[in-house]
Amino acid sequence: MANTVIGSSIVIDGEISGDEDLVIQGTVKGKISLKESLYVEGSGVVEADIETQNVEIAGRVTGNIVASDKVELKTDCRVVGDIKAPRILIADGASFKGNVDMDMKER
Amino acid sequence: MATAKELSASNNVDNTVVGPSILISGRLTGDEDLTVRGRVEGELTLSRTLIVEPSGVVKANVAVKNAIVSGVVVGNINATESVELTREGRMVGDIRAPRVIIVDGASFRGRVDMGDVEPGRLPAERPAVVRPAAVTRPTMTPARPTIPSARPTPPPPPSRPTPPPPPSRPTPPPAVTRPSAPVTRPGLGGLGSKPLPPPPPTRVERAEPADQAGSSEGPSPVLVGAGAKKKVVVKKKTR
Repeated sequence: MANTVIGSSIVIDGEISGDEDLVIQGTVKGKISLKESLYVEGSGVVEADIETQNVEIAGRVTGNIVASDKVELKTDCRVVGDIKAPRILIADGASFKGNVDMDMKER
Repeated sequence: MATAKELSASNNVDNTVVGPSILISGRLTGDEDLTVRGRVEGELTLSRTLIVEPSGVVKANVAVKNAIVSGVVVGNINATESVELTREGRMVGDIRAPRVIIVDGASFRGRVDMGDVEPGRLPAERPAVVRPAAVTRPTMTPARPTIPSARPTPPPPPSRPTPPPPPSRPTPPPAVTRPSAPVTRPGLGGLGSKPLPPPPPTRVERAEPADQAGSSEGPSPVLVGAGAKKKVVVKKKTR
């Protein structure tokens, strides 16, 4: 479904914004803000602050994540940074260091 | 569960695609093809092909191997192999590449630099790729076709022989025809001896460059900008 794919050999240093799903197999540094879902695949490396609706991370992310819906840390992912979202899933095998904020007031 | 989701997520195409609603601003580098349907601003460096689709907008300095532009590019493109502006392509900026293809319908403002052209490959590659109609500037397009057609075939133009005879011969007063002398040069030349000298020299002068122009017609359509065209053509002639 995802229209936008950042391939494994691609390096982006800057800002990505948009209204559609984004799949990252390469490297993104800077900032990502989406209104849809972000998928960081196994080969993906993100050193950026992330602002989206959903995030699924199987690769490496360094930066703060703010999601309006859900953040999912999958097996073998490595995440360093703070996560803020109403739903946060951390799978067995995921490695994560940072603060978690599920914002209990809104729920 | 997780693995199934991972698989479905990783099923995506290998190519890198920037979707229509995506804006990337900053520096983008990579070693694979990139398709842009959204916007990319800043700097774009690829060791392979950049494809800007009709919905794509690239406002960046671009360094790639190949570029195919069907959308909008504002900025300079530096390609090691080729740059192609398709029918829907619009570009403002300079192009630097050994091969530049601009198709009819494309719009382009900027300079073209094909570098030092090797004389040997001119006839082989260029004519096949090139189409004269590719010229983007509306003002330039008419000028080119008319000039070459007029030069090689001076006699055909019916305007010279046909109009003069009817008016000049039946109408005795030559004074009437004189005011309109600039328009009906050939007619006067045929009638009087005075006007004759000017036309021949102009024809002779035109005839000489006509040969050169004819020989350079093949490569010339590739180029877009008038300045760039002349520049490259000169190089070709000298070599």
